[in-house]
Amino acid sequence: MGKVDIFESPIHLKIIRFFHENQASIDTPRGVATWIGEERAKVSACLEDLVKAKILVAHRATSTNGYSYTQNEKIISRIDKLLNQK
Amino acid sequence: MEEEKKNNNIYQKELFERLKKSAGLKKEEECIGCLIKPAAWWLIEKPNPKMQDLKQLVSCTCPHHKKFPPAKKNKCLKDIYTAIEKAGQTKALARFNCIEGLHGFIYPITQGDKLYGYIGSCYKKKDAAPQILDVFSSFTDTVVREIQKELELSKLYETIRPRAIALSTVHTVHRLISSTLDLSELLPRIARLSLQVMRANRCSIKLVDSRHMILLPKATVDLRKTSVRLKKVRVGKHAPGRAFKYGRPIRGQDFLAVPLIDEDVIGVITIYDKVDRKPFTSFDQEIMSTMAEQAVIAIKNAQLYKEQEKLMIGSIKTLAKVLDTRAPGTYVPKASFLKVALAMGQEIHLDADSMKSLEYASILHDAGEIVVPYEVLTKPEKLTGKEYEIVKGHPEAGVELIKHMKALKTVAPIILYHHEHYDGSGYPKGLKKEQIPIGARIMAVVSAFEAMITKRPYRNIKKIDEAIDEIKSNAGTQFDPKVVDVFLKVIKRKDVRGALEKEIYG
Repeated sequence: MGKVDIFESPIHLKIIRFFHENQASIDTPRGVATWIGEERAKVSACLEDLVKAKILVAHRATSTNGYSYTQNEKIISRIDKLLNQK
Repeated sequence: MEEEKKNNNIYQKELFERLKKSAGLKKEEECIGCLIKPAAWWLIEKPNPKMQDLKQLVSCTCPHHKKFPPAKKNKCLKDIYTAIEKAGQTKALARFNCIEGLHGFIYPITQGDKLYGYIGSCYKKKDAAPQILDVFSSFTDTVVREIQKELELSKLYETIRPRAIALSTVHTVHRLISSTLDLSELLPRIARLSLQVMRANRCSIKLVDSRHMILLPKATVDLRKTSVRLKKVRVGKHAPGRAFKYGRPIRGQDFLAVPLIDEDVIGVITIYDKVDRKPFTSFDQEIMSTMAEQAVIAIKNAQLYKEQEKLMIGSIKTLAKVLDTRAPGTYVPKASFLKVALAMGQEIHLDADSMKSLEYASILHDAGEIVVPYEVLTKPEKLTGKEYEIVKGHPEAGVELIKHMKALKTVAPIILYHHEHYDGSGYPKGLKKEQIPIGARIMAVVSAFEAMITKRPYRNIKKIDEAIDEIKSNAGTQFDPKVVDVFLKVIKRKDVRGALEKEIYG
């Protein structure tokens, strides 16, 4: 999924907004799903899309995966602009 | 105090914003309005309004006020002001008489003892029943309470949500670092997670070498560099050394060193350079101390696991050495064959637990030969049928030997089936193909290869290449052809071949 799709999809956008507003957060798919009020399965797939797009970082373990926001300032700044436009 | 005043002002502003938009209040004004015919409604947004505020409000809303001569205007405002003071003091509805023959009331907006402002009106109907104003008071109270509840809920949400998210982060970090017992994997993971939580660029974890009073670098992650220099630090020197020495966090503008404390200090985790270039705060220190508490538990668990593993492998090697005293060279496997087995396991992508089982089985696979009489074990001639039957019992005897060691439960199938043949002609069960566990199929190749190129009483030593040819020729019958392919790939590796030649031929 390309970046354009990610910024057009409501769930992707909710996840991006959540991590942009809580940049120190690391959470599981279940946790993110709770914070944004969406289904866990859909959220899991979107989280992986966002990892591929380098917006999120995945911390993989045997019991679960943790996801956190990118530390790349350029990406954060671009997202900031895009979210302000929305 | 200043903060409280600021928060109170924000709350007051929000309360009146919501009152202005309140559909309930509008409805009430309409209903009561039908009964009392109001000339104006006022929302006074201060508990102690000045005369100037009142003047502006009334002149904007009252159609009669503008027409009054100055003296009348002042009298009108004074009457309203008196009613406001009375309503504020009594926290109850206060009436006033308008000089133009109108009537009015002021009702205070309160929460407990706190006064926020007033709602008021002047109206035409002279004899508005007190019951109407009672209904107005009650309904206004209900609307105000409703809005105050909404505000409290939203304040609670704003306060609790960030804390709940932070708590969830701490919980996720705990799950992520508790899921590995491999120290070489655990420490970089803790470093990366710490960087993420602190939004910083570099993290270094150092563990103490107590004998030399030095902190040894165990994991360093720097988001700005691909390679990092690992530096030792003397106890008492630099931020990590001081954090270790004093057993408390040491914080500077661009660093935060937090000791890892179990019963003693076991190391230090240091974070450098926040991404936003801001200095580290006491809140960062608090969060990092929580992370360090979790990290130390995970590190101690991993260290204990490693110790236990060492103990286990030590016990297995001791057992093999004891057995080896019967027929030297039979039980203690050479390191190079262990290397072949483990390299094959890696090539097949066995998981960590299966690799561990393969390692233990490589040492113990022939331990069951303890039941074979010494004369049979060392007999240079061909074995009789009866003797061969005794030898064939050694896999089951091996399993019997280790059955009380629970940690070796997964090793048992490898030992039991390492003499099974791919075509079903092996022993003890005559299993075929994938019925034979993968570990046992690997062990079958490695143990046969070992037996061919090392000294055995019953056969001549083969050269490495001759043994490889024989393994190849038995692919599909004695051995799994896929496993043989992996063996051939591994044995071609310079490091593996070199280790074998060095160990066998010196």
